[in-house]
Order: sequence, then structure tokens, then C-alpha cells
Amino acid sequence: MTPVDPLAEVVREEWGRLAALLLARFRRLDLVEDALGDAVEAAARAWPDDGVPDRPAAWLHTTASRRILDRLRTEAVAQRVQPLLVVEAARAEAGRAMADPGALVEDDLLRLVLMCSHPALAPEAASALSLRLVLGVSTPDIARLFLVPETTMAARLTRAKKRIVGAGIPFGVPDSSVLPGRIDTVAQTAYLAFTAGYSPGTGTDLLRPSLSGEAIRLVRSVLALRPGEAVLVALLALMLFQHSRRDARVRDGRLVLLPDQDRELWHRDEVEEARALLDAPALRGPVTRQAAAYTLQARIAAEHALAPSAAETRWEHVVGLHDLLLGLAPTPSGRLARAVAVAEARGPAAGLAALEGVDIPTTHRLAAVRAELLARSGQHDAARAAYDQALAACRNDVESAHLRERRQSLG
Amino acid sequence: MKYLVLLIGDGEVKPWAEQTPDEQMTAMGLFQAFDEACAGREGVELLAGEALAEASDATTLRTRGGQLQMTEGPYAEVVEGMGGFYLIEAPHLDVLVDLLGVLPPYDMQISPVVDVSG
Repeated sequence: MTPVDPLAEVVREEWGRLAALLLARFRRLDLVEDALGDAVEAAARAWPDDGVPDRPAAWLHTTASRRILDRLRTEAVAQRVQPLLVVEAARAEAGRAMADPGALVEDDLLRLVLMCSHPALAPEAASALSLRLVLGVSTPDIARLFLVPETTMAARLTRAKKRIVGAGIPFGVPDSSVLPGRIDTVAQTAYLAFTAGYSPGTGTDLLRPSLSGEAIRLVRSVLALRPGEAVLVALLALMLFQHSRRDARVRDGRLVLLPDQDRELWHRDEVEEARALLDAPALRGPVTRQAAAYTLQARIAAEHALAPSAAETRWEHVVGLHDLLLGLAPTPSGRLARAVAVAEARGPAAGLAALEGVDIPTTHRLAAVRAELLARSGQHDAARAAYDQALAACRNDVESAHLRERRQSLG
Repeated sequence: MKYLVLLIGDGEVKPWAEQTPDEQMTAMGLFQAFDEACAGREGVELLAGEALAEASDATTLRTRGGQLQMTEGPYAEVVEGMGGFYLIEAPHLDVLVDLLGVLPPYDMQISPVVDVSG
């Protein structure tokens, strides 16, 4: 273990709260992030010589506030008026009264989370912005996560911040009639960031599990603000089950699919935590459709995580869970996943039958699964044609190589 | 903030002309309820709101090569079904969206108004 860098530690723990406090006070979404970044740089220069201050977060807050005040003064001299973030009336009043600063800061963090994942923002923009503003993940890292150039991500973040101010997306917590839906959106936003890390890239960035881990951190911090929120409990379980397999998913620079993974490499502590989450009281009462869907997906992941070997997976259970999931959301990708489970439980012919009528024009996966099932059932000509179809639609080098290999193995 | 809300499409609402008198009465009730909801909400002011004539009565005006050109009909297909608009002062998007939920479920476009006076 390397010794803990106190600056990295405080940035990791406090970035979101600091950003939220500065936003509530100055209402300048365009300045807060840069000012905090500057403050962190200043700390990196000053702390090694001067020693770590007693209250490191307060030090960063003061330094960042000064930066913003400098900028505001410059603007005042130039007589420029910049648009301000809308802060909900309740927060503005609470800020004046300051009855309980501690609770206020926690509420500000929730306001920041809800603002970043507002449904009026495009999901990818919301996801990137949440990682940046709530967790302080760097723009280059977020760019790596989403497999886009750094300049593209920087522009996306700038646009999202401008849109929040321009469209009048508030820094606020909506009333209880709307809040559950908004927490669902927060969950979707976090899950999008999580899955982005497991979307195959190239070279050393084939998978980016440590960045997916940041999405888990996002869910944990929101869960700390809203304990027992069913959709977040279910999502955390789902993410932990999937994340626990990270070290087994790549071998010698190549993707390793679930049945071929070395189960010794799975993180058992995370599997256990996820399993305990699925038993949490939060998931026993009535929950939103989104929470129910994550719960079922997590239960499917649990079947895989707890099977002693791939061959011993309880495939009929998996099929049953997919049936329930389809009852909630009858999506083509859900039917595809069910067909895979059906093939494992009842053979390739049953899998092929379950694929009938499924159409997903945007991905190579459907053709890839059909090809695999045709190959297993000995229909080699049809399998070759399906592999060709999958290869034509596949946009990823790693997966294309895998498909080509499978096609060649047919002889 | 000030917003222009365009009632831009019928969405799942039956076109006005196809509604029975009872259905039209119900819709009118919703418009009335929306007016009242706006009046009762702090920081919200309904500045203007009108129903618009059918698309076939609209005229599109373009300037091309310095010449004003008029063509029959709305500007583009997307506003074919535009039935009305509101100009509303509201504290922020969430309050506005909350209030718009009172209206019949039209498809709407919400555009913030930019202050160009300063």
C-alpha cells in the first residue's frame, strides 16, 4: 500500500461538498469547477512545504472562494453580467438563516447530484457531469471512460454546464411527488457511467474497471444522503456483482467471457456485500419499476456469481428471472439475454426458437448470438452467414477478432 | 426566468376538431386549471397565452437575396400541429414542468426567453 496522499484523500472525500457549497454561494457553474481545480493545484504546491492544514477542506474552500471573487471583480470592472444558476427559493432562505450548516451542506450535495442528472440533460452529458462535479474525476479520465477525445469531453462538459444555467435547471430538491422519479434518473446516470467502463476499447484501455468503480462511488455517496433508497440499493448490488469479476474479464490483453473466467479471481467480498444488499429491507416494500428492474438484474448476476462453476449455473432460475424482467420491460435486448439463458438451460434449438421475432438493428450482438447457437446445433452454413452479418455490424476490433476466430473454428 | 412554451403537437391528445363537446369541455377545464395553478404559485406569472389558428392559415416569411418571400403554411413540419403558446415567468424549469403537467398532455417545446435589453 502506498501512503495516503492527504490532498488526494480530501479531494476524493470532499470535492462534491465543496463544489455544492461554492455553487450555492456564487451561483456560477462556469467558475466553480476551475476555481476548485486551481485550489487543488495551489494545495499541491503549498502543502508539501507548509504542512497539511488542520482543516484541509476549509483551506480548499477558502482558496477556491478567493479565485471566484477575483474573477467576479474582474468581470465587475469590465461590466460584464454573466447568467446565474437558479437556486431554489428554499435553499436561498436556508442559506440566510443557516440554522444547521451541517444538514445544509448534505442537502447541497443532494441538490448538486440532482442538478447534474436532471432529466432535461442528455444522459451521457449528465453522467460525465456527475463524475466531474460530484466526485471530482478529471476530464481526461472521464474522456477515457467514455472513449472520446479529451477535447470532445471538455466541450461536452462545458455545454452541459451552459445548458443547466440557460434552460433554468435548478440547484434544488423537487417535492416528494417528483423526487422518486428523479432518484431513478440519478441511478440511470450512474449506471451509464458504470457500463461505459466495461464497453471494450483498445490496448491498455480494453476495459476501464477503475473508472467504472467511480460510478459505484457515486451511488455510495448518494446512498449516504438517501439511505435505504430502493433503486440505489438494487443498483449498487447489481454493480458490485458485475464489478467483482473485473480481474477475470481480461487475460493477456483479450476479453474473457463469463463461462471461461477464473472464478478464483472474482472479488468475494464484493459478491457478499451485493448479496447482503439484495436482502436489505429497502427492497421488500413496493418499489419503482426501475428499482424492480435493477433488483431482477442483480438477482440474475447473483446466480452467476454464486454458481460454483459455469456448468453448475442454475439456468432455469436465470430464465425465470429474465421472464420477470421482460414482464417489467419487454425490450428486444431483454429478449436476447433471455434467449441466451434458454439456450443454456434447454439447448441451442430452444435458444434459437426464443430468438425468433427479436430484432435489434443497432448492434451486432443478436447476429453473434444466433451464429453461436447455430454453430452449437451443427448448422455450420447458417452459422457462417450469421457470423458474417455480425462482423459487418461490429464496430469494435476486439469483438470482431473474437467473432472471426469463432467463424474460422467452424472449418 | 421567462419561458415561451409552444404547444407543438397533439401527442396522445385527440385533435381538437375530432373531440366531442364533452371532451372539449374537459380540455377547457384543464386550461382553466392551468391558469389557476399558475396564479396560485409563488414566483409564477402567466404573461400571455393564446390558441393559434390552424396551420393552413399560417404564413411563412423568409428573406432570400434581400427579398421578402411568403409561402403558404407553417415553417416546417414540426410546427404543423402547433396549437397555442404561453409566455410564462417561472422561477425555474422544475416549477414550470410541474405546472405544465396540469395541461392536456400535448407535446411541448420549452424555450427560455433571452434578455437582450441589458
